[in-house]
Amino acid sequence: MEVIFRIKRFDGGSSYWDEFKVPINMTVLEALFYIKENIDSTLAFRAFCRMGICGSCAIRINKKPMLACETQISKLEKETIELEPLKNFNVIKDLVTDFEGFFKKQKLAKPYLIRKSKGEIQQTPKQLEEYYKYTLCIKCGACVSACPVAKRCLGPAPVVAAHRFNRDSRDEGKEERLKALSDHIWHCHFVSDCSEVCPKNLHPAEVVQKVRLEVLKFNLGW
Amino acid sequence: MKFRYDVVIVGAGLAGMRAAIAIAEKNEDVSVAMVSKTYPTRCHSVCAEGGTAAVFDKEDSLDLHAWDTVKGADFLADQDAVELFVSECPKEILTLDAWGCPWSRTEDGKIALRPFGGQSLNRTVFAKDRTGFHEVHTLYERILQYPNIEIFSEYFLTGLIVENDEIKGLTAIDIKTGELTLFEAKAVILATGGAGRLYGFTTYSHNVTGDGMAVAYRCGVPLKDMEFFQFHPTGLVPSGILMTEACRGEGGYLLNKDKERFMKRYAPEKMELAPRDVVARAMWKEMIEGRALEGEHGLYIALDLTHLGEKKIKARLPLIREAAINFAGIDPVEKPLPIKPVAHYTMGGIHVNKNCETDVKGLYATGEVACISIHGANRLGSNSTSECLVFGRIAGENALDFVLNKDFKLVKEDEFFEEERKIEEIFNKNGSESPYAIKKELNEVMDNYLWIFREESGMKKAVQKIKELKERYKDVKITDKSKSFNTDLIYTIEIGYMLDLAEAVAVCALFRKESRGAHYRLDYQKRDDVNWLKHSLAYKTADGVKVDYAPVTITKWEPVERKY
Amino acid sequence: MSLNTIAFYLHRITGVVLSLYLCMHFTFLTSLKTGDYERLVKASKEFFVLHLLLFLACIYHGVNGIRLVIHEFGYMYKYRKILLYLTFVITFVIWVLFCWKVIK
Ligand SMILES: Cc1cc2nc3c(=O)[nH]c(=O)nc-3n(C[C@H](O)[C@H](O)[C@H](O)COP(=O)(O)OP(=O)(O)OC[C@H]3O[C@@H](n4cnc5c(N)ncnc54)[C@H](O)[C@@H]3O)c2cc1C
Repeated sequence: MEVIFRIKRFDGGSSYWDEFKVPINMTVLEALFYIKENIDSTLAFRAFCRMGICGSCAIRINKKPMLACETQISKLEKETIELEPLKNFNVIKDLVTDFEGFFKKQKLAKPYLIRKSKGEIQQTPKQLEEYYKYTLCIKCGACVSACPVAKRCLGPAPVVAAHRFNRDSRDEGKEERLKALSDHIWHCHFVSDCSEVCPKNLHPAEVVQKVRLEVLKFNLGW
Repeated sequence: MKFRYDVVIVGAGLAGMRAAIAIAEKNEDVSVAMVSKTYPTRCHSVCAEGGTAAVFDKEDSLDLHAWDTVKGADFLADQDAVELFVSECPKEILTLDAWGCPWSRTEDGKIALRPFGGQSLNRTVFAKDRTGFHEVHTLYERILQYPNIEIFSEYFLTGLIVENDEIKGLTAIDIKTGELTLFEAKAVILATGGAGRLYGFTTYSHNVTGDGMAVAYRCGVPLKDMEFFQFHPTGLVPSGILMTEACRGEGGYLLNKDKERFMKRYAPEKMELAPRDVVARAMWKEMIEGRALEGEHGLYIALDLTHLGEKKIKARLPLIREAAINFAGIDPVEKPLPIKPVAHYTMGGIHVNKNCETDVKGLYATGEVACISIHGANRLGSNSTSECLVFGRIAGENALDFVLNKDFKLVKEDEFFEEERKIEEIFNKNGSESPYAIKKELNEVMDNYLWIFREESGMKKAVQKIKELKERYKDVKITDKSKSFNTDLIYTIEIGYMLDLAEAVAVCALFRKESRGAHYRLDYQKRDDVNWLKHSLAYKTADGVKVDYAPVTITKWEPVERKY
Repeated sequence: MSLNTIAFYLHRITGVVLSLYLCMHFTFLTSLKTGDYERLVKASKEFFVLHLLLFLACIYHGVNGIRLVIHEFGYMYKYRKILLYLTFVITFVIWVLFCWKVIK
């Protein structure tokens, strides 16, 4: 059994659609390798861990940003599958987009533990669970791709990163972080598609609202 | 393009990032470039699942950790390095704690421990079953805070520039633009990870192709103990995705087709938690002798977690569950998982001493790319991420000491042009061979002849076949002639690296006429300490691999029979 | 385009339309003089259909705005999909009631 992959290609100058036949009993990523190794070795895409943890292979599959490695073709239940690069990123080639800006924005949210105290640290499993979920962001860019305003603002991912540290009992830098976010957090319009596409189910839309309220309270001195 | 940094670190995995931080923490003025072919959070270390070894249990001791490691290594580890290693592990865990790593905890807020193969006591610190992922992210977040660390992501190392046994810099392709870039440096640290993609059935990420090893090897730096390749018992069929040893650490069983916990016949005391070489061999034997199960993807063994219950699996092994459902369509809460042994770790690597120094002045290697050697003939699970942290720091600190009060050595234009010419030559290749076909055949050779059970005739065939593939590689065709993000070119260069490394593996394996740790020969089934208690050193010469040997450092523990 | 995104764009578009209309409307109102009753009635007859549509935009913008405020204050995130559908349903119901009322 085979399906058709319609892939949006870009060679630096122009973009065009290309079609390939691929076997159905594999993941989208395996099929991309199948094309590269057997049909057209000029096809460019990113792929590393192939187990859904490195965050390299997010592309739009039938318009929805997804991890190619985690997506079984058969589960898509379509005979023609469209693959496009992520939106809101500049395309470098074919399915490869430029992530420099994404990682730069990440830094604005001070996504690291800020802690001046020294000495032994304790953290109960309950305190751990307070923030653990938000440590799972793999920085794949799916949320940014789904967001209609992300191109011009911070985008959801950095806010999730900030939230993760704000809730960590070891952290002492919440205020600093909220201050840093003050200029960047107001663009969200709660489209909430980021929550629908996040491959790790981190609900960025919810997090952004929560952090925004925290920033608001902080700025008002409540 | 040309850049100049005091220290250039190649590789942004656990080892590379730890090295960068070590330098920046001690000195704000030394400039550091961290060059890697992936973004830091995409390195292979994010795949590490089970945990990181360190002594925390009150009953445990550094000596016991060292002994387990040495015994696990089948006595091929350098014991001075092991002693240094175990003494530094706990500090690294606490450091990462202070930097934000979400370690799993006990009820009273202390760092939790889980059992792992070959350990006398529980010694594996973990963050659920995503330990590597959290460690990598913690280090990456830390790095963002040091202004003197510059990150160069998606730069692909192609060559080292060495003169009179001293490093001057390196060249790397800027993948985005396709330009060859020169990095001048007083010191270079290689931290490019293992070479697992030599094998077809493997747990490794697609990009773990041993580049750093191959580049150093081509510059005359010897590779140590390349014949020792670890096979992990539990790779998910058919993808090879790892089902962490923690599955067994948490109480999972290995079952054959008669639902028997067959490990009782091979390691009555440790059962499923014997070291990986022992378990992998036992499984392979079950498979060969007809006691394995059979499915649409061939033979397999069952990894049964069902008796652990949903709660424990969700709390301790969430990633495993997610991966099993996504990639095998099986929920481990309900059904046993199909698994079989899988290529997993490169014990060998660039020959360095316990300061991570190579014979080239200013060139360091650390992490999986290096062979220090603390893993000897078989690594114990969870010792490798610890190694990356401990020796990442040591490499960084030593490189820092080395560059202070040193001047840059200028790289001559000709030296750069020579590197450029080499890349051009590959880029322009228009032969008749598909690089991917060559890689596929290489994987088959490795999977067939240099797998868990090895023998003379097979390994000879492998050496021969690899030679042929190297010949065919000369006539390779690069279809993509564009500059920007040319993965056709990058993959082809990687395949060239892999061919060199495969040859070193095969030749060293063929020469070693004994069975030790992961290197098990059907024609020499016993360990032979009289003749073979020594490290192999492979040198690249004009007429192939030249193998030399170096003694093993023994401090406290004389080799004894290894029983589990 | 997902319904979420459609809701987003509709909110922007109705917002722009309403502010333009309000500007025009106020200009018109302030230009009215005593005894302009005729003009007023004429205008309202001429633009009858347009007014109905404008009201639709107005209700949507208002109802959707309330939905967004609810979410922004951290409430009912779990019910975001239901609330989204409800926004369209409520808008439509109010509008139909209104139309029925004015046409009758
Ligand atoms: C699935 C899996 C699970 C594991 N689980 C555990 C575990 O539970 N506990 C444990 O202790 N160990 C575990 N290991 C082993 C451990 O993960 C690795 O040994 C360790 O992460 C290696 O880290 P590293 O920093 O040396 O290299 P890597 O993390 O592989 O990083 C290599 C870096 O080098 C860069 N690089 C490579 N080639 C080039 C080039 N040509 N040019 C530029 N940059 C380059 C890469 O981009 C990357 O940034 C596991 C391994 C696997 C495969």
